[in-house]
Amino acid sequence: MELVTIFISAVLINNFVLHYFLGICPFLGVSRRIDSAFSMGLAVTFVMTITAIVSWIINHWILIPYHLDYLQIVSFILVIASLVQLVEMFIRKTSPPLYQALGIYLPLITTNCAILGLALLAALKNYGFIQTIIFGLGSGIGFTLAIVLMAGIREQLDMADVPEVLKGPGIALITAGIMALGFLGFTGMLK
Amino acid sequence: MNIYARMIIVLTSIGLISGAFLAGVGTLTKNRIALNKQKEINEAITRVISGAQISNKIYEEKDLIIYRVNGEKNNLLGYAVYAGGVGFQDKIYLMFGVDPEITKIHSLTVLDQKETPGLGAKITSEKNFLQFWKNRDCTEKITLHKPAVNSPDQLSPYEVNIISGATISSEAVVNIVNTALERIRVLKEEGKL
Amino acid sequence: MAEKTISQEFAKGLWSENPIFRQLLGLCPTLAVTNAVVNGLAMGAATTFVLLFSSIVISSIKKLIPPQVRIASFIVVIATFVTVADRFLAAFFPDISKALGPYVPLIVVNCIILGRQEAFSSKNPVFRSIIDALGMGIGFTISLLILSSIREILGSGTFFGMPLTGAWFKPWLIMILPPGAFFTLGLLMGIFNYLDKKRR
Repeated sequence: MELVTIFISAVLINNFVLHYFLGICPFLGVSRRIDSAFSMGLAVTFVMTITAIVSWIINHWILIPYHLDYLQIVSFILVIASLVQLVEMFIRKTSPPLYQALGIYLPLITTNCAILGLALLAALKNYGFIQTIIFGLGSGIGFTLAIVLMAGIREQLDMADVPEVLKGPGIALITAGIMALGFLGFTGMLK
Repeated sequence: MNIYARMIIVLTSIGLISGAFLAGVGTLTKNRIALNKQKEINEAITRVISGAQISNKIYEEKDLIIYRVNGEKNNLLGYAVYAGGVGFQDKIYLMFGVDPEITKIHSLTVLDQKETPGLGAKITSEKNFLQFWKNRDCTEKITLHKPAVNSPDQLSPYEVNIISGATISSEAVVNIVNTALERIRVLKEEGKL
Repeated sequence: MAEKTISQEFAKGLWSENPIFRQLLGLCPTLAVTNAVVNGLAMGAATTFVLLFSSIVISSIKKLIPPQVRIASFIVVIATFVTVADRFLAAFFPDISKALGPYVPLIVVNCIILGRQEAFSSKNPVFRSIIDALGMGIGFTISLLILSSIREILGSGTFFGMPLTGAWFKPWLIMILPPGAFFTLGLLMGIFNYLDKKRR
């Protein structure tokens, strides 16, 4: 039961973008069109889940037993950077069209605070191995949900009459605010 | 020099220097950080059991830590219980003090919560919530009194006050305490306390 | 291209190349920790610290780093100083450390810092890099202060923890919750763009 709680919490209640403010850069940058938003979401979910696994292993097999917790930040970010590099090479080899679609977004995932945020939060909450994986999966799906919803709205917004000064990031942020307001309604669901 | 060799040397050096530097920083700050954590726990223990002088951690499991608390004359004052559980938004961590027979709750304090500011977060407020937790009878389950009252005199000895507008957070605290109490009684019977 | 004067180098971080409003970088911590002025200030200070020292180190060793590994090198240097800031806060300011939570370690992926190393420190002498870092850091901190002042005053009725408004004002709770962060930043962006247009 607790796994379901963690999953639903990650997707809806403590949504990575709309509650933890993680992944804002791609959220604002890649959410203009639904298909690219969805691809980004998938890539992020994939990297997040693997990061969850690897960061847990590093944390619990190396950092904690040898009292090296001060190396947590450095080791996590290096792991993420390498993982993203590997994922990029893998996609490039196996699916060139997918690589074309995701283009420059992949390296950007490294600096996507959502990935590092995931590793840090899972470590902070002291989740077990399976819990961390579920947390990673849920957070990725939550991110994808938010970014796809945003893209859907922005595709419509592009045709609307937005004041000049608010065009682009301004109106995107206000839209995000309204979405966050909506997602607030999910709190208390766990009861 | 071969470019690959250069890359490896540079990266390794940076890694080693940074690692050594961080080891130094880590060691310097490690004690202070542990001390801060200990201070927080000790302050909470003195808040929930008055007259506490010495405390020892005697039991630990997931979301439950029990401290044996002794007074000035090294007499057993009771137990300080650190417990955690699901709240409205995220997990709530609290501490409460009980007497050695587990019949009375001296007092309760909330250590960590991420409830809604202005509503659920009121569980940390003395005026709105915590004052109603003093000297509660816990031989039976603690129950929540609805609607909210203004003064502890309006409550029965085993009741605590609900926070209006924050039902779920209030209930969460009560559940955490009742679950912990059940667990403590079992442990006492097993002679683990 | 004409070389900037020292004061221009510094000032660009405050307005024309403001990290948040112009470059749209570092938005994650901007939204997350601006629910109270003390948090915004602490985050700004920590970020400026990391930016400053990373720039100093990287500008000093820039000639030694082969281009292929520069990003990895930058990241290790930045992560090192972020760890220092994080440990320092946890040891000496535990309450602030708790309030800022995982957002201090997240400074390492704050695009402002990596961005400045890539765009400036790796190509400029140490002194200029210091000025650039200070300008960006202070510009970032001031922006955080503006945002957190608005959110704290309207959302809690306090400033820096001290009650400001009287009992007649019922705080707009929404301001310290996520939606309030998004709205405020969005509107501030609009205001910034408007003022910027008028300047030109």
